[in-house]
Amino acid sequence: MAILEAQDLVKIYPGGVKAVDRVSFTVEEGEIFGFLGPNGAGKTTTIRMGVTLLAPTSGRIAVDGIDVTQRPEEVRRRIGYAAQAVGVDDDLTARENLILQGRLYGLSTRQAAEKAAELLEVIDLADAANRRAGTFSGGMRKRLDLAQALVHHPRLLFLDEPTTGLDPQNRRALWSYLRELNESGVTIFLTTQYLEEADVLCGRLAIIDHGQLRVEGAPAALKAGLGGDMVTVTVSSEAADGALERTHAVLAAVPGCQDVTTHDSAVTVVLQDGASQLAGLVRALDAAQVPVARLELAEPTLDDVFLRHTGERLRVEEVKPPSRMLPGRRRRRS
Amino acid sequence: MMGRVLREIHILWGRNMRKLVRIPMLLFFSLFQPLLFLILFSQVFSSMAKLPGFGYDNYLQFLVPTIVGLTALNSAFQSGMGMVNDMDAGLLDKFLIAPIRRSSILLGKIVADATRMSLQALLIIALSFIMGARFKTGVPGVLAMILIAVLFGIAWAGISNVVALRTRNAELTMLIGILITFPVLFLSTGFMPSSLLPSWLETVAEFNPITYLVAALRALVNEGWDWTAIWQCLAVTLGLALVTLTAATRAFRRVIG
Repeated sequence: MAILEAQDLVKIYPGGVKAVDRVSFTVEEGEIFGFLGPNGAGKTTTIRMGVTLLAPTSGRIAVDGIDVTQRPEEVRRRIGYAAQAVGVDDDLTARENLILQGRLYGLSTRQAAEKAAELLEVIDLADAANRRAGTFSGGMRKRLDLAQALVHHPRLLFLDEPTTGLDPQNRRALWSYLRELNESGVTIFLTTQYLEEADVLCGRLAIIDHGQLRVEGAPAALKAGLGGDMVTVTVSSEAADGALERTHAVLAAVPGCQDVTTHDSAVTVVLQDGASQLAGLVRALDAAQVPVARLELAEPTLDDVFLRHTGERLRVEEVKPPSRMLPGRRRRRS
Repeated sequence: MMGRVLREIHILWGRNMRKLVRIPMLLFFSLFQPLLFLILFSQVFSSMAKLPGFGYDNYLQFLVPTIVGLTALNSAFQSGMGMVNDMDAGLLDKFLIAPIRRSSILLGKIVADATRMSLQALLIIALSFIMGARFKTGVPGVLAMILIAVLFGIAWAGISNVVALRTRNAELTMLIGILITFPVLFLSTGFMPSSLLPSWLETVAEFNPITYLVAALRALVNEGWDWTAIWQCLAVTLGLALVTLTAATRAFRRVIG
């Protein structure tokens, strides 16, 4: 059954920026579904419409069959949301933050305290429970924020770039926790700009770029959909002008080569039956005297899928957290 | 229904109180300047009381009500800075997606601001008592002073929240707060009786809401229960609040819309 459904979703910000452009997708109950795309692709805007924080310009987004704009309060009881910037009160302890969230979701003080204690164990913060969140490391804050989104047993969890800013070790720990959570029955909708994260974590994913949904499917199916192995030919940086275009033309003429794309100083092709047709490709390059700096044959990755559907490689940029000011507040942020 | 709203307000108020206890700086931050003014001005301008037509026993008696008002004004601008911090920290979003009423978020904040302002006003009054100021209307008068100053402070906090919600910048919110509060304060009868102001300033002061705040507070300290001054002040406060809180609510709707 669909727990999240978007239909022709559009968001145009005041000023005319079209952040989300006719996006449609469906997330089934029990899935981990990912939105993969660079900064500014429309991932956060889509999530904010899903969690009732932003009204769509047109189209529809529904949680558990309930239109988000029509009955937001019923949607709010069903969802949890951890934003990219951690929503934690630095002046309160981890436990106090969790109790506050629990109480906002209608738990009594005692119920909220019990739930907080339980979650602190789960996210491995029981030892730091009574420390101010402002003293926490980035990984601890992310975990606390995630726990805050879980106090009311949401059926659907929205995570906006859950591991951005985390080191590899913390990232992996969070992945395994998210998997456990999913196995316990929570559906997860997440956004990421990390290929590996999408690959490892998501049962299905959608690639989003410039506000548009380009392709959707299971990672393995998307890779298989490219129809062969990837050959990347990097042209020598000292080559004369036009070498890249010439390489492109040469490769396009080789039998078995498909989807020739040029980006930066390399040309990528899909070779239907990689190993056996490689010889022909090399002979063609040699005959045309292409100044090859590097030649790679590899199984397709999500990056290749991304390139194929957007025409660009996925660029990862770290976002700086906003600056803040108030006494007692100039603290380390993740 | 009412119980639910009160419960939500209580939860959000409790969060702010916990912060206030945890970070005493949040209580003292907007108190420093009024404290400094109270101590410095009461000394520097002490001989002003000797001027003919000044009309008060000493400058401290005249100054204390102004400082109580200033405390509320300063604290009001701290309100906007807190709003910026809650937005930056993603906490406003957390409150907005919780199944609570939007109005509870604003009311919880107003009640917390009012509590902070009351405590600050009380501290200022206690200090001025130690410095030798005496309050004609006694404890009931002091409570009335705090109530009047806090109501005015809530109205004033509307301005700072408009700035906060529009700029989302704590530094700018503070700067604009200072830029508004200072001229308005000095263009009132806060530091000089109107009879000693230049005539153009006397006219300006007459249209300055702070003049009415100071007049009511000053009467409670020095003369007694001057109901005319009190009702005038409450009317001005109400008018101001209608404008500022409407604007703040609209700015809030824009942010969450």
